Amino acid sequence: MKVDMKLGLKDVPGSLLWALEPISLHGGNIVSVLHSRNGKDPVSVQIGFRVKDQKSLDLIKKDMKKHTIHLTEILVEGRKYYSKKTLSIIFIGHIIDKDVLETIDRINEAGLVSSIDVLMPSPEEKSSVMLNIDVDNGNIKRLNKTILGICKEKQFLLIRSL
Amino acid sequence: MKTKEINLVIIGFGVIGKGFAEVLADKHDFLRANYGVDLKVTAICERDGSVVCKKGIDLDNVVELSLNNNLKAHENWTTLKSLDVINKIRSDIVLELTPSNIETGQPGLTHIKESLKRGMCVVTSNKAPLAVEFSQLQKLAKNSGAELRYEATVGGALPLINLRKHALQVNNINSVQGILNGTCNYVLTKMADEYVSMDVALKEAQNLGIAEADPSYDINGIDTGAKVVILANSLLGMDVSFKDVAVTGISDVTTEAIELARKHNHVIKLIGDVERLDVSPRLVPINHPLNVSGTLNAVTISTDIARDITVIGPGAGGKETSSSLFSDIIDIIRSK
Ligand SMILES: NC(=O)c1ccc[n+]([C@@H]2O[C@H](COP(=O)([O-])OP(=O)(O)OC[C@H]3O[C@@H](n4cnc5c(N)ncnc54)[C@H](OP(=O)(O)O)[C@@H]3O)[C@@H](O)[C@H]2O)c1
Repeated sequence: MKVDMKLGLKDVPGSLLWALEPISLHGGNIVSVLHSRNGKDPVSVQIGFRVKDQKSLDLIKKDMKKHTIHLTEILVEGRKYYSKKTLSIIFIGHIIDKDVLETIDRINEAGLVSSIDVLMPSPEEKSSVMLNIDVDNGNIKRLNKTILGICKEKQFLLIRSL
Repeated sequence: MKTKEINLVIIGFGVIGKGFAEVLADKHDFLRANYGVDLKVTAICERDGSVVCKKGIDLDNVVELSLNNNLKAHENWTTLKSLDVINKIRSDIVLELTPSNIETGQPGLTHIKESLKRGMCVVTSNKAPLAVEFSQLQKLAKNSGAELRYEATVGGALPLINLRKHALQVNNINSVQGILNGTCNYVLTKMADEYVSMDVALKEAQNLGIAEADPSYDINGIDTGAKVVILANSLLGMDVSFKDVAVTGISDVTTEAIELARKHNHVIKLIGDVERLDVSPRLVPINHPLNVSGTLNAVTISTDIARDITVIGPGAGGKETSSSLFSDIIDIIRSK
């Protein structure tokens, strides 16, 4: 995948090399380096590179953090990138009766339901549903608000992850 | 080592009071040899009267009488009520061990206030007064110059408040969360291990004396909520009371939910989340340190320097909880 990374570097010798090291270490293939030196410190640098998968990108980000490099923006295939997280939750209530598709659609506005596991003891009794939801780090607050709203409205008991 | 005589008054002689007395009878000489204190119980107050003996009460004898519901037969039994004893008998430390009433904090709240006003230090296992009037009680203690200590109010035997005080001084505490109610943990563990309903698990807990006849206080999360208040105020420097905590208990947790959690390598635990002032059932990964079973309590303190410290142990029991009472008592004596 194609990655564009914007970062701020201290204007001292060797800092660019220090910033590029994690990329090559984790198999990144550097395509371009744009260095806008306009007397400011930190200097703004844009690096374009190709990397095998998200795991390698996460490792690069982790090492850059270790190198105390300040990342200002990451674009993957031209789109703003956030690290993803998977949240697991359980709903207890009349989940199917209370329009389960609408529930999922609403959650999908803030994240993405990637799996759903349902246990229904009998049609009259409450069912228990476990959902895995992928969410961008930047969207977690919105997702939580959506989930709490659904629970209040449809009278579900929510069991969140720690 | 020079021995210091310390007079104690015990108010409330139930599970904790008797547990404390038994341990003191057993450890009296150990405490004298190692800490230079001669701990003497000069009064024990129950609801309808008190045993008072300035020379010091024979603890083995009083525990036996109380176990036989026959405290009134004690040769030093009087009709003095707890407040009469606080007013008339000078002691160094008052142990407030009466039942917790989370709505009013009484009778403990008055016992603590009156003792502090008279300059007597208080050590308590009763969470209600602190959950209801934490900051007022701290102020009163400060103004009176007497100490108010409450390690035993949260997590029974677990050192939490004193751990922070004596071993985590340099740390900023970012969050505190954990299992603070042994009854709920027993019920949820039983449901998960044996795939039984909440009713069956609760019945067994009652038969074993783990759950009260009316377990609503525990099961509805109220007990955990009161403990969250105490930890929020004492470990995170907040100024909150019980009404500030969002509380959801475990009564609606189904066996199916527990099964789903297990299928996905999780368990369900009632978690007191102190930073968020929230009590609710939560999904805990199976290999997480907070996944403790039975009646155990477990608390993770997340700090900036030491990182995560998890304390696990018995959250209830007369003798076990007395460990925390002694920790407070010894601390007070050392600072005097
Ligand atoms: N049990 C535990 O493992 C544990 C652990 C940590 C903290 N705690 C807390 O410690 C406190 C004591 O617990 P516990 O288990 O010992 O309770 P308990 O067995 O019910 O004992 C409380 C005792 O206080 C007496 N009492 C009630 N009102 C009184 C009054 N106005 N003046 C004097 N005595 C009075 C009760 O007498 P009657 O029987 O006549 O009512 C009873 O003997 C509670 O606040 C509890 O939440 C308990």
